Amino acid sequence: MAREREDILKDLAESVVNMNMALAVSTAHEAIESGLDAYDAITNGLVVGMNKSGVLYDEEEYFVPELLICSDALYAALEILNPHLKREEGQEKIACVIGVVEGDTHDIGKNLVKIMLDVAGFEIHDLGRNVPLADFVEKAKEVKAEIICLSTLMTTTMDGMATVIELLKEEGIRDRFKVLVGGGPISQAFADRIGADGYADNAANAVKVAQGLCARFVAAA
Amino acid sequence: MALVRFCPDCASVEVAPGSTILEAARKAGITIETPCNCVGICSKCAVRLDVDSLKNVASAPREDTELDSGWVLSCQTKILGDITVEVPGSEQPDTIRILHHGLTHAVDVDPCITKIYSQKEANTSVFAFDRLLAREAGDTSGTNFGIVVDIGTTTLVASLINLSSGQEEAVASALNPQSLHAQDVLSRIRFASEEAGLEVMHKAVINEINRLTEVLAKGSGVVADSIYEMIFSGNTCMLHLATGVAPSSLGRFPYTSIITGGAHESASGQDLNISKSGLIYVPPIISGFVGADITSGILATRLHRSTDTTLFVDVGTNGEMVLARNGRLSAASTAAGPAFEGMNISCGMRAARGAIEAFDIDESGEIAVKIIDDAEVVGICGSGLIDLVGELVDHGVVAGNGRFVDPKNSKLPAVLKDRLVEHMGKPAFRVAGSVLLTQKDIRQVQLAKAAIRSGIEFLLQNGGVGPGEVDRVLIAGSFGYHLREKSLINLGLLPKEFTGKVDFVGNTSKSGGQVFLLNKESRKKMCDLVKSIQLIELAGIPDFDKVFVHCLGF
Repeated sequence: MAREREDILKDLAESVVNMNMALAVSTAHEAIESGLDAYDAITNGLVVGMNKSGVLYDEEEYFVPELLICSDALYAALEILNPHLKREEGQEKIACVIGVVEGDTHDIGKNLVKIMLDVAGFEIHDLGRNVPLADFVEKAKEVKAEIICLSTLMTTTMDGMATVIELLKEEGIRDRFKVLVGGGPISQAFADRIGADGYADNAANAVKVAQGLCARFVAAA
Repeated sequence: MALVRFCPDCASVEVAPGSTILEAARKAGITIETPCNCVGICSKCAVRLDVDSLKNVASAPREDTELDSGWVLSCQTKILGDITVEVPGSEQPDTIRILHHGLTHAVDVDPCITKIYSQKEANTSVFAFDRLLAREAGDTSGTNFGIVVDIGTTTLVASLINLSSGQEEAVASALNPQSLHAQDVLSRIRFASEEAGLEVMHKAVINEINRLTEVLAKGSGVVADSIYEMIFSGNTCMLHLATGVAPSSLGRFPYTSIITGGAHESASGQDLNISKSGLIYVPPIISGFVGADITSGILATRLHRSTDTTLFVDVGTNGEMVLARNGRLSAASTAAGPAFEGMNISCGMRAARGAIEAFDIDESGEIAVKIIDDAEVVGICGSGLIDLVGELVDHGVVAGNGRFVDPKNSKLPAVLKDRLVEHMGKPAFRVAGSVLLTQKDIRQVQLAKAAIRSGIEFLLQNGGVGPGEVDRVLIAGSFGYHLREKSLINLGLLPKEFTGKVDFVGNTSKSGGQVFLLNKESRKKMCDLVKSIQLIELAGIPDFDKVFVHCLGF
């Protein structure tokens, strides 16, 4: 006998928080077989779980490995559910360009932020690491992004973030984008100094800040 | 203009409103350390203001809520009117523990600098290899000296050597004054990316080396004019800064070194106060992040001659490592960050008076803490931190995922349970006095140790060597010297297969530098050897992140 929707959603969420990939996969199959809507299973199951993982990360209960293993479980289940998504349910997503600035190859932090933003429903355009600064601007224009996320671990490359903002200004398109910065040597003070719109000290907070920036966006429009 | 008074030095200075307290302090000649290069994250430049002064400043919003009221970051606080600033007592250089000793071996005294007295001409010729450096009146052949300077990011150690006898006459050490402007290597690269910054860095270290030279010469009755050669041993960035070469390329992928070492420069050209014809020798540099200090380490420990499998690791803010297998060498470096220098640890500090340097938990859960100089506890230094976290992992206070265990649901002895406290809503461990180890601190240690461990994993993997096949592990560096094998293994910084094989070889940057100074044959040999070292570029390995993340656990 098929289980209730609530039970399935609960298992999906818990499989992610508890880093249980086998349960995530089997529950995703179960969701499809019992006729549960894929969009429902993702947003009210998996995403709830990943958000809880993000909270635990923010509370220092979870660390980088846990967050990555949670996301492994999440993506394994998503692979099963995604083909069943009905087209029209795909909401208009907010496009976001992300990458590690030129000169730096450390990308673990950037990848965590990318996962959390992806889960939160942003459309991610990942430029990777050691990204030429002008590429952020070009890509953001091309995909009509609303947010540009810049990451670096190194003190020596963080000034590249200011350059990206300068490039936007030079083209007269600074106000079309919100610039979010983060990484080891970055602080709120640095973000203020270079005129970035937001700063987050970890991947979970990055989502909150990004959402906050977009909410303001919507309100202003 | 605003009047700024500094206590307790009683210095006053007038500055334009809008200047930062730090700018005022520098103008007044007051030393305030700024390890994070004024980014506003390290809190080490905090100063205290009285109630009235607080009204006359504007502070940037701070994330760090742990500073008590009245304290502000001098680099982030702008002066609006007259203020009085209380500057906390800075660390005195003479209280910092600096390691002079390093493993070495007997060397044939065959220096590059030689002197020949000619009775006929009644003068003495000074040679560097076969090149005539100078002619001195009379017989001065008995006075021939050289200096080795280990230029560390944090400390400088200088050793005066008699080139005739090979004896060390005197040793002196100091903090690297560059750290007043920027603490870590990357911050210094950034600081020196502008010409003015480079000049500040270059001058600072040269002045300090000149001061140490004077101390050494005076202390052993040697005239500075009879010092003909100086060896600069240190990491690649320090050697750029000490020779006045812009280090910018070291701070960006692919981290290329401008200088290669293995060559002489004129000492007077660098404003060094030794013999006018004196020379500086920089040993060959392996790469942008594996410097001449590691070349010196190889030479001191004769790694290139070893017939077994030996791993050499310099544990510091960067972990540099060399694997020697049947005489073939491969090298790598990883960014461990400043945690082991106590820099992004809440109660972290350098290995100075009042620092917890060792930590033990016995079977009943009782704690033993060793504090430098048996002083009142101030904080935790790197060796104490590694001991502490290692012991907490070993005794189950910290779980395999790095998390403090829940004291309510654990079988820990009561003495340990009681130390698990809540600090600002998050778990922490009460170490001693008011010194706490927070969950965030453990995360920093995890990141640092995983960086070094994953470097070791890839070096071994590349050499086709299992951890059990490593015969000897040599831990170099003055920081490494104060570590214990047990803690390094508990922490997982080293694989447990290394148990019983670890030796602490000390400051081999200096002891290897002495071999360079005393034996000219070693120079050509090492220049050739360095070219043959296989460099493992960890940034280019696709699996690096995966292994790094795996190494985060205990």
